[in-house]
Amino acid sequence: MKAVIKNLRGGGLGEFPESAMNLVSKLKQSNYQISVITAVLVVILAFWKPHVLVEGLQRGCLYAVIALPMALILGIVGIINLAHGEYMMLGAYFAYWLNVYTGMDPLLAILPALAAFFLIGVASYRAIIKYVLGTPELNQLLLTFGLAMILEQLANLLWTSRPIKLPLPYVSSSATIGSFTFGTYEFIYVGAAILVLAGLLLFLKRTPTGQAALAVGQNPRGAKLVGIHVDRTYLLIFSLSIALIGALGAIFMTRHSIFPLVGAPFTMKSFCLIAMAGIGNLPGILWCSLILGLAENFVLSFRGYAGWADILFFALIVLVIMVRSRQREVK
Amino acid sequence: MKKSRPLLYLIVLVLLFTLPFYMGVYALNVMDIILIYMALALSWDMLLRSGQISFGMAGFFGVGGYAAVLLFLNTGMHPLLSIVLGGLAAGGLAWLIGSAVLQLRGMYFAIVTLALAEIFRVIVRNLPDLTGGPEGTVLSQAIFAGNSTYTYWLVLTAAALSVIVSEVFRHSRIHFALTSIRNDEIVAKSSGIDVFKYLVFLFAVTSAIQGITGGAYAHIYGFVSPEGSFSVDFTLLPIAMALLGGMHSTWGPVVGAVVLGVVSEFLKLQIPYGHLMVYGIIIVVAILFFPQGIVGTLGLKMKRTGSH
Repeated sequence: MKAVIKNLRGGGLGEFPESAMNLVSKLKQSNYQISVITAVLVVILAFWKPHVLVEGLQRGCLYAVIALPMALILGIVGIINLAHGEYMMLGAYFAYWLNVYTGMDPLLAILPALAAFFLIGVASYRAIIKYVLGTPELNQLLLTFGLAMILEQLANLLWTSRPIKLPLPYVSSSATIGSFTFGTYEFIYVGAAILVLAGLLLFLKRTPTGQAALAVGQNPRGAKLVGIHVDRTYLLIFSLSIALIGALGAIFMTRHSIFPLVGAPFTMKSFCLIAMAGIGNLPGILWCSLILGLAENFVLSFRGYAGWADILFFALIVLVIMVRSRQREVK
Repeated sequence: MKKSRPLLYLIVLVLLFTLPFYMGVYALNVMDIILIYMALALSWDMLLRSGQISFGMAGFFGVGGYAAVLLFLNTGMHPLLSIVLGGLAAGGLAWLIGSAVLQLRGMYFAIVTLALAEIFRVIVRNLPDLTGGPEGTVLSQAIFAGNSTYTYWLVLTAAALSVIVSEVFRHSRIHFALTSIRNDEIVAKSSGIDVFKYLVFLFAVTSAIQGITGGAYAHIYGFVSPEGSFSVDFTLLPIAMALLGGMHSTWGPVVGAVVLGVVSEFLKLQIPYGHLMVYGIIIVVAILFFPQGIVGTLGLKMKRTGSH
């Protein structure tokens, strides 16, 4: 008994001030600030509107898993890909197309989509993206905008603008806790977000290739000097990101109806989230996505005002830009 | 050469002005479309000269259209006055947004403008009492009772206005300020240029032109709707035109608009679905292979042959 008390004193109370200091210093980092705000919101929501919490979590994770590959391209290749959402849209049509011609389940189509979109990424990089890497940002923006239009209109040409939705019985599964019923299938986005984030972090921190990619992202010239093949790294990262987003398209189309314009809003929302988290901050994207997802579902839950949910991200990005510009002035 | 220039301009102007007297209604309609896109392409290029890229044409085009139509319906003012006020509304809105967003530039500004059309569309759709909601608003009568000669003169005025503003900008202090901002912002700042002020001013002026064009378009076709007025066409086509003709000049977008305007009329009939793909291809090809555009490439050739 005495030993237990001693242990408690030694282990708990003795280290308390230190861990508290740690916590305080951690709070100063933006990630932790954001996560604390999220936690408070979550507790309030859990009691007031539980369905907002669950659906917001699912939607937020969907945003995160879309934004992560874009952040990877922006952070390492250093180019903002305005055709990001369009690649997801193509991935969705790819899965649809496989389903129609071979009867393959869209969730199984993830694997062929990964392979196919890796190749599409390689082709896009080799044919187009490579040539604007050293040029002014303006050229990159215009080029990827043009690319987005080409992909969008290609889908329009091939499949027309009619919305498509596969009838899949398993997507409408649900669970009930007390009087509260919610869809369970959408938790697939949560799984995907965690998987992609953890995978990317492991890849970047633990593998030599990932480390090389990080180095290239920080300083391409320096990376070249120490013998890293910069162009090959760009190619790998770009294609990897396109593969991820293409495979995500296959998951996306199981639950949502797809049409050529379906991807465009996600490009803008993804950029908003990246800007919010700060370029290069992958875990931050997950938190920011959760905030956006929860906020949107919160607005959606008010009858008569649901249409306004789509402008939340815009308010957020303007806010972020104003805060960022103030930070820049202070520096 | 230099002395004959004003005469040349005068001849072109008279020719354009008298076009309705020897052209059919269909040809005039095509001219209307060309001139509208010309004004948009020019206004886009004007902002581009400062190194800032805007994807917000469709947004301000639609705002101008909605403002003009709603002012006309609710106050009964003359449609021409409502078009001008619609342009001012778009310009004022751009000034507000620019003051907030132009603090950070480059891709932040570009993405925000890319989102504008979508945002305005959401707002318009959610205010059904004012704007007619998702169905839009139809005017009981188009401007000038649909007389194609007068409508042609109206869009000609809008296009001429944008050409004049563009030329004024090119031959004044503003041009040097903008060029230096584009080349190196820090140098520009240290030579005493108030970069932020210039950019916000320019963004407001170009958006006002887009608003006026949008107002004219809305009055000519007699309706506004969330999908039609904020259509991505009004962003995509002007960019393709300016790139094809040549960036950073007045005549580049003008030439691009005429060429692509005629081509688009043809494409629309040939490929009803997905004809916009051609414009995407033009943008990509222009950026990759001839960033100078038609006018720039020809100008270089002429200079080369001239110096030999």
